[in-house]
Amino acid sequence: MITRRELMRALSRHKVSDWVVIERTQDLAIADAVRTTRRRENRTRIGLVVHHDDSRGRGSARLEIAGHEDDASAVVDQAISLAIAAVGPSWKSVPPAAPAQVQLFDQKLAKRDLADVAAELALHMRRPQGAKVEAAAQVMVERVEVSSQSGLTTRWTASELVVEALVSAHDRSLAIRRSARREADLDLDGGIAAAVADLGSLADATPAVPGRCALVMTAEAFLHGDTPAGVWSVFAAQADSVLERQGLTRYRVGAPVASGATELDEPLTITSDGARDYALRSAPLGDDGDAVRRFPLVERGVAKGLGLSTREAALRQRDPNGGVRNLVVAPGTWDALLPAVGARGALPRTIEVRRLRALSLDPFTGDASLELALAVEHAGANRRAFLGGTIRLDLITALARARRSAATVERNGYAGPVAILIEDAELLA
Amino acid sequence: MTQTRRELLGSLGIASAATLLWACGATTPTIRRDPLARDDIRSWLRDAVARLAAVYPAVHVLAVTGQRTTAAIDVLGTGVARMRRDGVVLGVRDRDGMWREQVTSDLSAAGVLAAVRLLVGPARQRATISFPEPPPRPKAPVALNDLALKARVAEVVKRDDMLNSRIVYAASQIDIDDALVWSISPLHDREQRLVRVRKRAVRAAWSGSRPVVCQAERGWIGGVDDHAIAQADIEAATAGALLLTTPGGFDDGERDVILDPSVTASLVDAGTRAVLTTTAARRPEVARRLAIGASFAAPMITLVDDPTVRGAYGSFAFDDEGAPATPQTLIEGGRVVGILGDRGRGRARRPGHVGGLEPAPSHLRVAPGTVSHEALREDGFALEGGHFAVIDPSTDRVVIGAARARELKGGVETGRVFAEVELVGSLASILAGVRGVGKETSVFPYRDEVDGEPRWRSVEAPYLRTRGFVRGRRRRT
Repeated sequence: MITRRELMRALSRHKVSDWVVIERTQDLAIADAVRTTRRRENRTRIGLVVHHDDSRGRGSARLEIAGHEDDASAVVDQAISLAIAAVGPSWKSVPPAAPAQVQLFDQKLAKRDLADVAAELALHMRRPQGAKVEAAAQVMVERVEVSSQSGLTTRWTASELVVEALVSAHDRSLAIRRSARREADLDLDGGIAAAVADLGSLADATPAVPGRCALVMTAEAFLHGDTPAGVWSVFAAQADSVLERQGLTRYRVGAPVASGATELDEPLTITSDGARDYALRSAPLGDDGDAVRRFPLVERGVAKGLGLSTREAALRQRDPNGGVRNLVVAPGTWDALLPAVGARGALPRTIEVRRLRALSLDPFTGDASLELALAVEHAGANRRAFLGGTIRLDLITALARARRSAATVERNGYAGPVAILIEDAELLA
Repeated sequence: MTQTRRELLGSLGIASAATLLWACGATTPTIRRDPLARDDIRSWLRDAVARLAAVYPAVHVLAVTGQRTTAAIDVLGTGVARMRRDGVVLGVRDRDGMWREQVTSDLSAAGVLAAVRLLVGPARQRATISFPEPPPRPKAPVALNDLALKARVAEVVKRDDMLNSRIVYAASQIDIDDALVWSISPLHDREQRLVRVRKRAVRAAWSGSRPVVCQAERGWIGGVDDHAIAQADIEAATAGALLLTTPGGFDDGERDVILDPSVTASLVDAGTRAVLTTTAARRPEVARRLAIGASFAAPMITLVDDPTVRGAYGSFAFDDEGAPATPQTLIEGGRVVGILGDRGRGRARRPGHVGGLEPAPSHLRVAPGTVSHEALREDGFALEGGHFAVIDPSTDRVVIGAARARELKGGVETGRVFAEVELVGSLASILAGVRGVGKETSVFPYRDEVDGEPRWRSVEAPYLRTRGFVRGRRRRT
């Protein structure tokens, strides 16, 4: 296997204009209570970013080397070929800035065997009475070393714990997934308790009735799936500077993110914060070896900033910021009470989405399709749980105009309101 | 909000840039690697088994040396990229019944030994094992160099007589996953060479303000030249992209539908993985609905998972626990007769042969009917171009995406074709509502990744006539 040093020597010999080598050494332990399996894996992944200058401009290439590559020179050759093929306008690398200072490693793991930690999470978690919980846990400690042509080397250690559990009660089941950098932040007990409560509702649930409604979504729903920040990731896509330069974003910096977004009592503000201690998307350096910085995406309803790689920053004559990281959404003042009078002046139906089955986001248009797994319909004093149904909406406009709770939660690359109210949506059967 | 031309090109460009590596005009150096000696690897693995068997009652070692090659051509140029991946999974079961796995990407004598020592500690004994005779060397198809691959991928484009200026994006791709896999335990010594080839042609055009993307794809195990995408299929993809769809929409509602094989395949693939595995059966509601013998589909539905189909993209000689491949019937005459399982049940699969073990399908076959698909048509819609199928195993609700819906009246197309539709309902009711199965079938390869490691499978599916709720996929603005 190629080592980082061999790669750096090969890069020096090939006289590459600029390069960054990122080595990740990962120690993984997995405990699966269902398969009665414990798995250990040590793996090393090396990422190489190469910038090549010629008379036409500068080209860049990114390679990941994982497996038994044994010829550093050949790898560098391939990277240079790829960079030559992708030549664009010239730009110059900026002098490296100080990496962000951020805590990423759960110190409680320092002296513990990762296999024991995983086993404890999977096999010995608290199980509520009357419920069956089958879990698998993965614990990873990753040591990262970033070296650049300028001679700077940055090292850090990060931890990540992931637990997936199937909770069964009342003859039904729900899958939950929690990930965090610290064991204390997993909130497994809370997740399992909420799942058991929802399983009780599922037992009496009826089919969805289509029609217009106000929509309340809790974090359990809007953070559905593996995408960091769940539904809020639609704003991360709009802050992609490559897409913005290609004219593929819905709005430009300086413009309102949606019609009327600036005229609300509490316009939306979202910040990208990659220096947030123990947050899942935090890091001292970005994927290009550039320093991670905190910056605004949306400020009072107006698009404010873009994630800037080294190239995009250089083309704009700005400083790179490590790209969009954890999304911090400013809370509002909504007290999470259901609306008494809706947008149309009549007593509305309000649908409280408890869990999603699937979330499909179009990153370019902001259109989203939310498949409901479990929701509760509130119509006056009546309350009815139901299954199924689809909500389809322009997510950017809906989130820009949504009322946000004062209470907050931090999870899965998101920090912000624990619940939101979208005043007008349509439920499809 | 409709997608603009730039959005489409951007999404396709991003997809191609992420998965394909380009060397536009530049010579791509052929990277020479010394192949790992097959017999050396066997001796390291046998030694590992002997050392582990001295300590543990059950031992299995799985190793893979693999290479992925991708050749592609599109508006940006032509290129070839290669990536190598090796790995070893040492699996042991201790006396308490707990399975332990040690995984390493270092397929070398030292790497394997280091992994063994992490499991056995300081113990140095070896069990005495009479291994069987090594299997014969698997046949390897002829490998093509970069120049030959580029020529092959350019051929795919040249054969398309329907390309015209309305096609705003055209790409062709060949990707090859070449894996040599060893499975060794005290009781067996198996080896297989799986060279999975996929050829794909993608076409995109505009229908008014909406983009239409169609593709033709074929996958198999064997040599690159063993098969080609049929010219008719490539031209059908181009024709599909050029098709002018009906503006506006239709009223959502219950309809009779004919599912073309790609839509049937999406449904069968997603449905099998969601409900017909031992993993899914852990859910009490799934176990209840799909108990063995339960009626789950119309009597004309028979579904078999068969990894022994020669040359099928998802086929294999043995699974990732070393169990020899055998066909397994899952649904027979509409009744559940089996589910896919690991731990000795013959469907243990690891992403990339090194990832976590899970039960998964290999090559699924829906038994064809006896009538031609045209005879299935009455009133309703013919759904074409299966995109996706999302199934909630807890509630059985399914949403199936299709690229096009052709309106039918009296079995004849009205000429109205709607883009981007969904068939919604319960999986059981859609399958139980099947009233016709066509005799023509098509085969679809599937390749996805888990944590960077690939999973392969394939589906052979016919046309189906059934009923469900059909709605447009796009938001009406």
